[in-house]
Amino acid sequence: MIQSQPAAAPALADKMKIENLDIFYGTFQAMKRANLSVPDRHVMALIGPSGCGKSTFLRALNRMHDLTPGARVEGKVTLDGVDIYAPSIDPVTVRHRIGMVFQRPNPFPKSIFENVVYGAKIHGEKNPKRLAEIAEKSLRAAALWDEVKDRLSRSALDLSGGQQQRLCIARVLAVEPEVILMDEPASALDPIATSKIEDLIGELKRDYTVIIVTHSMQQAARISDFTSFFLLGELIEVGTTSDIFTRPRDKRTEDYITGRYG
Amino acid sequence: MAQAVIAQPAVARLRGSNARSRRIVDRIATAALWGASSLVVLLLLLFIGFEFYRGASSISWQFLTGSPTAGTAGGGIGPLIFNSFYVLILTLAFTVPISVCAGMYLQEYSAGGRFKAIVQFSAESLATVPSIVMGLFGLLVFVSALHWHFTALGGALTLTLLNLPAMMRVTQEALAGVPGTYREASMACGATKWQTVLKVILPSAIGPLTTGVVLVSGRIFGETAALIYTAGASVSYGRSAYDVNPFHTAETLAVGLYQVHREALVPDVDRIANGSALVLLVMVLVFNVVARVVGRALTLRFTGKAR
Amino acid sequence: MVGVRASKAHRDEGIALVVLMSCSALFVIAIALILGFLAFNGTRLFWGDHYSPLKFLFGTDWDGFGGHYGAATFIAGSLVATGMAIAIGGPLGVAIGVFFSELAPKRVATAFKPAIEVLVGIPSVVYGWLGLTLLVPAIATVFHLPDGDGLLAAGIVLSIMILPTVISLSEDALRVVPNSLREGSAALGATRWETITKVLLPSASSGIAVAVILGVARAIGETLAVQLVLGNAAILPTSLLKPAAALTSEIVMDMGDAPDGSGFKHALFAMAFLLLLISMGLILLIRLALRRRT
Repeated sequence: MIQSQPAAAPALADKMKIENLDIFYGTFQAMKRANLSVPDRHVMALIGPSGCGKSTFLRALNRMHDLTPGARVEGKVTLDGVDIYAPSIDPVTVRHRIGMVFQRPNPFPKSIFENVVYGAKIHGEKNPKRLAEIAEKSLRAAALWDEVKDRLSRSALDLSGGQQQRLCIARVLAVEPEVILMDEPASALDPIATSKIEDLIGELKRDYTVIIVTHSMQQAARISDFTSFFLLGELIEVGTTSDIFTRPRDKRTEDYITGRYG
Repeated sequence: MAQAVIAQPAVARLRGSNARSRRIVDRIATAALWGASSLVVLLLLLFIGFEFYRGASSISWQFLTGSPTAGTAGGGIGPLIFNSFYVLILTLAFTVPISVCAGMYLQEYSAGGRFKAIVQFSAESLATVPSIVMGLFGLLVFVSALHWHFTALGGALTLTLLNLPAMMRVTQEALAGVPGTYREASMACGATKWQTVLKVILPSAIGPLTTGVVLVSGRIFGETAALIYTAGASVSYGRSAYDVNPFHTAETLAVGLYQVHREALVPDVDRIANGSALVLLVMVLVFNVVARVVGRALTLRFTGKAR
Repeated sequence: MVGVRASKAHRDEGIALVVLMSCSALFVIAIALILGFLAFNGTRLFWGDHYSPLKFLFGTDWDGFGGHYGAATFIAGSLVATGMAIAIGGPLGVAIGVFFSELAPKRVATAFKPAIEVLVGIPSVVYGWLGLTLLVPAIATVFHLPDGDGLLAAGIVLSIMILPTVISLSEDALRVVPNSLREGSAALGATRWETITKVLLPSASSGIAVAVILGVARAIGETLAVQLVLGNAAILPTSLLKPAAALTSEIVMDMGDAPDGSGFKHALFAMAFLLLLISMGLILLIRLALRRRT
């Protein structure tokens, strides 16, 4: 699968590289021999029918499977050339550098401000002035600042779904990760909130590498630079988004793109 | 975020200088939680082991079946064990029907509303009445107002009041565990609600329900404070030790353990107390094991799968 | 034929409903009767024997046969013993609840859980007997005292007795915290301990409050375990190592001796009524804690 790298890739530095990745739940193999290179500061979309393993794959990239009893990951995942599954690496540090936004907004039952600075506080920032700066910067970057700047001490649970999701993005930005994983971040949102999130992703790639799972091909086409197609626990094809959508090399990708799977 | 940074090995770039100390805190906390939990379990095993070690020498056929004595050593606890079971059965005879009916009403019939809220609040309140206070209520009503004096029945009714809420809760939870599709399927066959509840839902819930009954039984078996001033604290000497008249005094084993120490009328108090404590403990263990085994077996039999 | 059967089913339905509702109503009647009987007999000391409620609540002078019914000693004993039980059993119970909910591998949980359930079932009189024969001598040895009974012993025994309640309820409270919050916190680079202390415990705070309050309820109403290890001296507790008495222990000790109709007996009922009021107050507190959650 390595040979199916996009033609444009060689010019770009790889931020993450996944080699021969197998993922098991108990005895069930959820991902088989996946290989993928993710270029720095671009958006990589993972698409495929539901149950194809794309979310499973995504969660292997910041060691979230460590939290699931019975889940096992084999193979190599590197960040800037360092294997994040190496025994000497602390998964907590990995997740610090590779942030994640989930399918459903999951704000903590705390104030908006406390949500944003949660990570920064954990990582040792105590200065209230610095924390306020971090909060503003992150909320601005997540395009939420203007909507919440007057009610930072209100509960995050009072926000709308779309606002909550942008808050969760702000929360991730506040810990200054290098890669942001997004697991269908707009699937629970209405179209207006969705387009705000999509605009935001366009902004984010200037500073971050974004890997996003989406079930919507239109969304992948709108926001991503590269697209990889998953089917039944296998990574079938990777390419630039325009290549995948206009000239897929694999028959199965073509069938999916043209709507022959659900 | 400069390009140069990316060239560096990630291990050297572990950001947050506090990463190491945070990891240590996490390890220590994890160890502490393991330690605390293991310690409590270990302590419990030690208690039980000690109780077995200490009480074993008291146990003999004579001790388990013989009658208590007054003033001399060598008494047994036979009638006390009998009374414990007798009061337990009487109590269950009241507790189970009432609680199961109330639980069925709340879970299957009532759609909410004020009556349900009042019943639920009453049950919660009933559940927190301290057992000694319940005992005094029993004393006021059964012993004094009704002039029954100390009776097995009065004790059983007091214990009923004490255990109604727990049993109702067990019923509600057991019924809540029955899949909604069972109800729909039965109603779709033209069954009335009552037929559905009686023929489909109750049998499906029989496993957890039985587990609940046995666990509540364990509580009833060991209850003491509520019985001292209702069922009484003596084995009415002179009449048959194994007395099934519900209007006679019935000192249970748990009350006996308390009383033998308090009155200290016999020279071998420690022997009797240690033996009684061991028998009580063994009974608690038996109730626990039976609850598991029977509950699982019944669930398997009625639903074809272990829940 | 069908019509006949249908009408029988209909009649059964009506009877069933009446029976089920009556059984439910029994709960309401029971608690009303308990409150009524205890309120009547528990206030008799004040309107029947004209004993001042203030002297009862705050007086320390207790002589049942001599007409002195100051119960402050027992109130203090109950409060101190309960406070100690919560101080020890509360944090320990929550910690073990966290262990079961967040840490314990399945195999360990299935091995440990039954042990905790056995702890619930052990009769309080057995706890008392163990406390009296193991703990009390141990305290005497450690502190070089002739006798080890007193508030310290009672507090320790009670803290063990409330453990199962606190453990299982705080575990339940933690289990209903959505997994997405655990993942959200972990994805920000939090350690497990940070997730527990900064996200999970605050999220489960009302459920944990309920766990602790129910622990208080169990501790303050506990009678025999306390009576057996407390030493039963009607003196205001000045040290945790001196014998003391609690509301429950005094009731169970004196109830048999106090003559019917005497102020002595009425004072004991007043103490029982006070316990009932405290229990009811705790129920209201729980309602308050749960309302805050929604």
